[in-house]
Amino acid sequence: MKSTIYYKTKKITVNLIIHLFLLTVAVTCIFPLLWMISSSLKTQETIFKDMSLIPQSLNFANYYHAWVEGGFGRYFLNSIFYTVAVVIGIVIISSMAAYAFSRLRFAGRNVLFIIFMAAMMIPIQGSFVALYVLLNKLNLRNTALGYILCMINVGLSTSIFLLKTFFDKMPKELEDAARIDGCTKLGIWWHVALPLAKPVLAVVVVLNALNVWNEFILALLIFDSRPLMPLQVALMTFQGEFVTRYPLLMAGLTIAALPIIILYLLMQKYIVKGVTQGAVVG
Amino acid sequence: MFKTKIICSVLFSTLILITGLGCDAKQDPSKTSITIWHWMTDRDPAFKELAKRYEEKTGVKVNFELYAPSDAYSQKVRAAAQGSNLPDIFGILGEKRDFASFIKAGFILELTPYMNEDSSKWRNSLFDKALAVNEFDEGNSYGIKPGIYGVPIDIMTIQMLYNKALFRQLGLNPNRPPKDFSELLEIGKKIKAANLQGLVSGWGEIWMIDCLASNYAFNIMGKDKVIATIKGEVPYTDPDWIKVLSVFKEMHESGFLASGLVTMVNKTAEQLFANERAVFAFNGSWCVNVYKGMNPKLEYGAFLPPKISDKYPMAIWGGAGSSFMVSDRSKNKEEAVKFLRWLTDVPQQAYLAEETNNLPANKESLKKIPDLLANFARAMDYATHPRVWGVSEFSPVIEAFDKGIQSIIIGEKTPEQVASEVQKVKERELAKKR
Repeated sequence: MKSTIYYKTKKITVNLIIHLFLLTVAVTCIFPLLWMISSSLKTQETIFKDMSLIPQSLNFANYYHAWVEGGFGRYFLNSIFYTVAVVIGIVIISSMAAYAFSRLRFAGRNVLFIIFMAAMMIPIQGSFVALYVLLNKLNLRNTALGYILCMINVGLSTSIFLLKTFFDKMPKELEDAARIDGCTKLGIWWHVALPLAKPVLAVVVVLNALNVWNEFILALLIFDSRPLMPLQVALMTFQGEFVTRYPLLMAGLTIAALPIIILYLLMQKYIVKGVTQGAVVG
Repeated sequence: MFKTKIICSVLFSTLILITGLGCDAKQDPSKTSITIWHWMTDRDPAFKELAKRYEEKTGVKVNFELYAPSDAYSQKVRAAAQGSNLPDIFGILGEKRDFASFIKAGFILELTPYMNEDSSKWRNSLFDKALAVNEFDEGNSYGIKPGIYGVPIDIMTIQMLYNKALFRQLGLNPNRPPKDFSELLEIGKKIKAANLQGLVSGWGEIWMIDCLASNYAFNIMGKDKVIATIKGEVPYTDPDWIKVLSVFKEMHESGFLASGLVTMVNKTAEQLFANERAVFAFNGSWCVNVYKGMNPKLEYGAFLPPKISDKYPMAIWGGAGSSFMVSDRSKNKEEAVKFLRWLTDVPQQAYLAEETNNLPANKESLKKIPDLLANFARAMDYATHPRVWGVSEFSPVIEAFDKGIQSIIIGEKTPEQVASEVQKVKERELAKKR
């Protein structure tokens, strides 16, 4: 009887500690988001005076002003276009490359893979000038194509790494069976490898979509024409050299964060699966 | 098979669409147009309005293109220089050596002949000290041909500010800021007794400490001795330098400095002062705009840091806030210069000051701007800036000096200890240079 009470108490205590810990982590994760939404409903004056999470008066007009003054309509479409194009490009190229690295035997395979992995370590800022000069020589500067190609290049290394790790663990028997059914190498990649890699592809999609959606420095560097800029550049409109219009910036950030939150929620099931299946092992 | 065909068609169409989007819009070749790159988000609407007015007046189209934040802008300008894509007019952010490297590479047009036209009419209309930031003197250490290479479009000064309402609360005259250092220390004692917060500033971003320290160094020992120290001819252990370091000890001990000042970022300092939670602030003239946004009812005044010595004048940091340069490789050089001349003329400068709360670079426009701004601008007579000294201190020395002051304020080190440590760093750097 005593030991039952002891074990029950121990279980409750451990569970309480774990839940308290998880609750703390959850609150620290969600707090900046709540703060952003709260600040987006304040005025420039009250943002520095009213420190409460629920503002005394809700200023929804900030969202309208942010949308109109930031010219969000055009930039929003641009960002959606860039994100979709880059993610499609990365998924196709990285899955093909990862499959080749995992299954095909060719000279220099390991060296090439190491080079790809080394590229992961180079921060994008380090390659700005080189990219600019290269795009200039190819007449791709100030073009959407130039930006998309750069962003595909930025996301390839990590995606190839994730997918190769997955393909390495995929049973070879499945491919043998497909081969017996008359599948070519491309057919196996399309009909066998890709469907099985759905969870890890979800991780690749979300990671890269997030990366492209939030990118603006490369866009500023490559584009001279304002109409080609992505959404994040519009947010900079509210951030002056000395004065920042915080309510509009926060409203803009809330608008900009929405699509990526929706994407994450839609793909959450696959991401959890991808992580639990070891897609991000290593 | 059908599925694959559909996917291929979608991909092909996407590629066509992307390539289509890549085409640049064509401009009317018969019309002269000038392109200006800048990073000043807060000034962008005013610039665009002026561009419109200029086009109506002259028929020349001016495109102001904003690339913010400033870090990204700097990267863009550097990359564009390497790719020979600089616009007709642009600004260079950074130190004078960066400016010099652009001139050496042949990217910047020398403006001296234009400035000297009509008996130097253009040159004389601008604040000398603002022009000095864009000027290279005879025998400059960068090896640049002497001359003017940039046009200041606004100016800035860094001064002390005081809250008039809190002055009244302390029983002080709200229209009489402290005149000398002893008065300042007396007010510090009153602040301490009233349990208020004294001076706030961005001393966590250490360059602002350096700014006030060099103000007092100029006042205590004069410019020549400061320059001689930078050149390595006077040691930091000199009694005058110890006096400079002691200024911070005295300010702290009197209660003049707010608590937490050494780690404070300027945004926090601005917030505290705007919300009337600090009696004094040490800030740049950009603060007019900042405080207006944070608390439009704030009642405050600006004054020079109170002097310690009567031997030398007090100096404050100031000069060109932002400047524009003309690309030497531009096809529209002449038009670009004409536009800058128009932009820095009285009506345009007054308009910019009114709309953006920045100080005008044209001294003749002071009569046409609000009083508070004009007060800031008048302090240009006392302005100096490391960029115009012709010599630069080693970065590790500046760091040791500023961090040393932080240590003095928190009571960790004495002025003598800091002076000796700074001198050691200086000697190490000089030895490396040799």
